[in-house]
Parts: sequence; structure tokens; C-alpha cells
Amino acid sequence: MRHSGRDTGKALRRALQLTVLAATLAGLGCQIKLVADYDEITDRSITALQREFELFFIDVERNLHTPDAVHDNYIGFYDEVRAELSVIRVRAAARPKNEITVEQLDLVAQNVDNLEELHKLGFDSPEELEPLRAAFQQSFQAILTLELAKKRGQ
Amino acid sequence: MAIRVPSLAKQMLDASRAVLEDSWPEIKDYAKAEFKKTAESIAMIVRLHAAGKLTKKKARLHLEIQKNASRTVLLTIEGMGIIAVERAINAALGAVRDTVNTAVGFRLI
Repeated sequence: MRHSGRDTGKALRRALQLTVLAATLAGLGCQIKLVADYDEITDRSITALQREFELFFIDVERNLHTPDAVHDNYIGFYDEVRAELSVIRVRAAARPKNEITVEQLDLVAQNVDNLEELHKLGFDSPEELEPLRAAFQQSFQAILTLELAKKRGQ
Repeated sequence: MAIRVPSLAKQMLDASRAVLEDSWPEIKDYAKAEFKKTAESIAMIVRLHAAGKLTKKKARLHLEIQKNASRTVLLTIEGMGIIAVERAINAALGAVRDTVNTAVGFRLI
């Protein structure tokens, strides 16, 4: 009798395990998604923003050692890129499972603050601009690389 | 129809392993190239500071920018890894789809 009770318990546990497995698989559906889908607008917006930064670095380099290179002449640029980043971030945050991209955009925004602080102190040489240009290129490329990976062969 | 758990598990493991092995070289190459760029930028900051072309305050801001750029790279690596895991899970489920669906008698997966 005791033996039979143990068997019944085993069978119940097994049935419960199978039910949990079935429910899990059913909940998963055909395909699971752990990261948001590719977004063409984010892709295009980041590419456009990268172009603005490239133009900024070309312009600052050309104007180095002249009064035109001072921060005051670029306030419009900083306002514009902050606004664009904010728009891209709102769109990214509205997409489910897109936290990584949102975090990346926050890091770029922090770097805009850092860049502006450096600009206020003044840029002294073209060499000083090199690592800055590289860092922004790297960040935009990272965001785009992830965005393209989200295509998953679509 | 009974499901043989060891056989099902092996099919899932084989399918997911193939996907993960396929994804890793791409992630590794990306990480390697990006960390090389960061190292070059940090070396440039150190050189500029040593040459007296960058104050301590500016060097710190430069480094902060490099750190944030590296974080965006690490986040991409994390995202690519998660996508690889996602593909591996889907491949594992796909590998046993017919067996499971036949066993339960309806389209479960």
C-alpha cells in the first residue's frame, strides 16, 4: 500500500512536470523574442545623427585656433543633437525589450554633455579631436550594429 | 506517443550548440576590433597629456567619453549574445517541434 502511494506520488509529480513544460512551451509560442525587433527609423535616425557629428568635427577642425571654433558658435549644434537624441530615445523606449538600445542612447547623451564641457574649455589641437571623433563613431556604430543584429536574418 | 526525454534533450542541445558556435566568431571579431580602437584612443589621450597638450581636467573628460563609448560597445556585445541565445532556444524548440506536436496530438510548439 505504501509502495502504491509512492508510485501515485511519483506519477502526480511527473504529470505536474509535464503540465508545467507544456504550459511553458505553449506560452512561448512558435518563436521566443528576448530583444526588440529591428527598427528602420532608429537605424536611419542614428545614421543621420552620426553625419551631424562628422560635420561638427570637420567644422571645428577647420576653425581651430580661430574665434569661430569657440563653444558659443556651436550652441545650436548641441541643442539640436540633444533634441534628436531625445526623440530617438522616446521611440526606442516605447518598443518592448529594447532596454539595451535605450541605455546606449543615454550614454551618447552623457557624452554630448562631456563633449560640450570640453568645448567650453577650448579645443587646442587637431590631435585632441581624434579620440573624440573615434568615440562618437564607435558609439553610433555600436548602436547600429545591434540594430542590424535585431534583423535576425529577416 | 511517449516522448523520450534523453533523445529530445540531445536534439535540442545539438541544434542550440550549432547556433551558438555560429554566432560566437562574429561577436568575438567585433569585440576585438572595437577594444583595439579604444586602446588607441586612450594611448592618444596619454600622449597628449604627456606632451602638455591636455590638462588633467580635459584628460579626465576625454577618458570619460572613451569609457562611455566602450560601454555602448559592451552593451552591443551583450545584445548580440542575447540574440544568439534567443536563436539557440528557437533552434532547440524547432528541432523537437514535430516530435512534441505529434506526441501531444496538436500544434503545441
